[in-house]
Amino acid sequence: MSKLSTIKEAVASIQPGDHVSLSGFATARCSMAFAHEVIRQGLKDLTISQCVAAMDADILIGAGSVSKIIYGGGSRGRTGQHFCIRRAIESGSLEVEEYSSFSMAFRYLAGSLGLPFIPIRSLKGSDILSKLQTESPPVTGYVEDPFTGDQWLVLSPLTPDVAVVQVQVADEEGNAQILGPRWENEEQVKAAGRTIVITEKLVSTEIIRQDPDRTIVPGFLVSHVVQLPFAAHPSSVYQCYDFDSDHIDYFADASKTAEGFQAYLEEYVSGVKDHNAYLEKVGGLERLNSLAADPLLGY
Amino acid sequence: MKEGKDYTAFEMMAAAGARELKDGEIVGVGLGLPVVATFLAKRTHAPNITILFELGIVDPEPLVVGVHGLSDPRLWYRAKIHSSFVDMLGTVLHKGIMDVGFLGGLEIDAFGNLNTTLLGDPKGKFRRFTGSGGGNDIASSARRTVVIIRHEARKLSKALSFITSPGYLGGGDDRSSVGLTGGPACVITDKAVFGFDPESKRMKIKTIHPGTDLDDVLSNMGFKPIVPENIPFTEPPTPEQVRLIREEIDPEKKYAR
Repeated sequence: MSKLSTIKEAVASIQPGDHVSLSGFATARCSMAFAHEVIRQGLKDLTISQCVAAMDADILIGAGSVSKIIYGGGSRGRTGQHFCIRRAIESGSLEVEEYSSFSMAFRYLAGSLGLPFIPIRSLKGSDILSKLQTESPPVTGYVEDPFTGDQWLVLSPLTPDVAVVQVQVADEEGNAQILGPRWENEEQVKAAGRTIVITEKLVSTEIIRQDPDRTIVPGFLVSHVVQLPFAAHPSSVYQCYDFDSDHIDYFADASKTAEGFQAYLEEYVSGVKDHNAYLEKVGGLERLNSLAADPLLGY
Repeated sequence: MKEGKDYTAFEMMAAAGARELKDGEIVGVGLGLPVVATFLAKRTHAPNITILFELGIVDPEPLVVGVHGLSDPRLWYRAKIHSSFVDMLGTVLHKGIMDVGFLGGLEIDAFGNLNTTLLGDPKGKFRRFTGSGGGNDIASSARRTVVIIRHEARKLSKALSFITSPGYLGGGDDRSSVGLTGGPACVITDKAVFGFDPESKRMKIKTIHPGTDLDDVLSNMGFKPIVPENIPFTEPPTPEQVRLIREEIDPEKKYAR
């Protein structure tokens, strides 16, 4: 069954208050076109989650689309902090439920397996845990190992309403292949109520069937398939295009202040009508071609 | 570069960090200087170490190591495996077979606890930083951890604003009493290398880098480490290590700044 949709339709299927997991890691495979469309449609009050905060989370938080983030920390790497997330946390305007990379991944894994909780060795003795222990309803607890009698810290499963995942290749049913490292994307998709796939390339199911060991996202979990080239710009998509270093620097600089960030939003997001207009705005075909990945290098 | 030396403080830290890795070990590597130290070890005395990055990368052979961060695909080039957090931090780290976790930090205390989350008062005014990422996980479950941090009183701190990643907590058997094994084995700064006292678990000076002295080391710390009677100098980087860092590992000085 074809689930082909526009990015507008896919975003319109999300309700205020929904919990949406995002697929980015720092500056790689960020759900940018998705985030831009959320901002254009004025969708608010989202809960977002991911293991390591990426540019998709930062721009959504800066735009005021998010009331809560569940995550394991994160920055853009060597290009610095996510300044919108920093401002929102420092000012207290954002509700934060904070973990580590692996404890987040384990929560998604528990959700993907339908487990009631998952034991973990991380977090013990840290202030991350003492802060989580004040959460209501509780997200942590202790159980006794019935085999050894040991006490284990356990985490509740994390089950997003919607997983948004940015991939290289998918068919119109949503069977999708992720090339390169997948961080927690597979567990997010399998833990979520449904998945929106945003793909660089749309292929026939016959092509998927020829290389099925690469299929990470099962079509039967997918509600919408959106084909949108350069949908992760300015972040990278392995084997498709490199990150746009100049644009990331421009964004990093602009987002250092709330005013600078608003001006960026007006220039590149709310002030352009759609993703194609955004791609023109950031330099069009000439710029995008210069980012195309070398198939041998993958970037 | 300091006068009279043919290496920088950065190169000294990278060489001291590399020396902590033994050939054949499985090493989980955090962002920053640990990346340079690990690739230096791999290209010198430890060609058979297995390098892991948390997002799902095993043993890459990047053409340039000086890159944007772990999310930069330049760092993934020629990896043996592309996988996931659950694979790297689960089937390796959580299972207990990561030999060494190699971390940086914002501040560290006398018991090797690390803060990468915030500076200031968590319930009042504070400055927010990165948070944990895989740092807490690696500090909790690696067989041992090695930390690289700049030698400043505000970084070698008497009291952390926030414990992101556990060292020996309050010292003594605090760490094992919360159910954690392993722990920090070594802290490398630009002035000295520290170990930990086996009983009190307090940081203890191991070696001091050539060109500095005990006063300089102690007066730039927020806490007093254990000072043994005889303190040898840290072995400086070899000319070949310096060449590797400058010409092959970080030629664009992305890390060395």
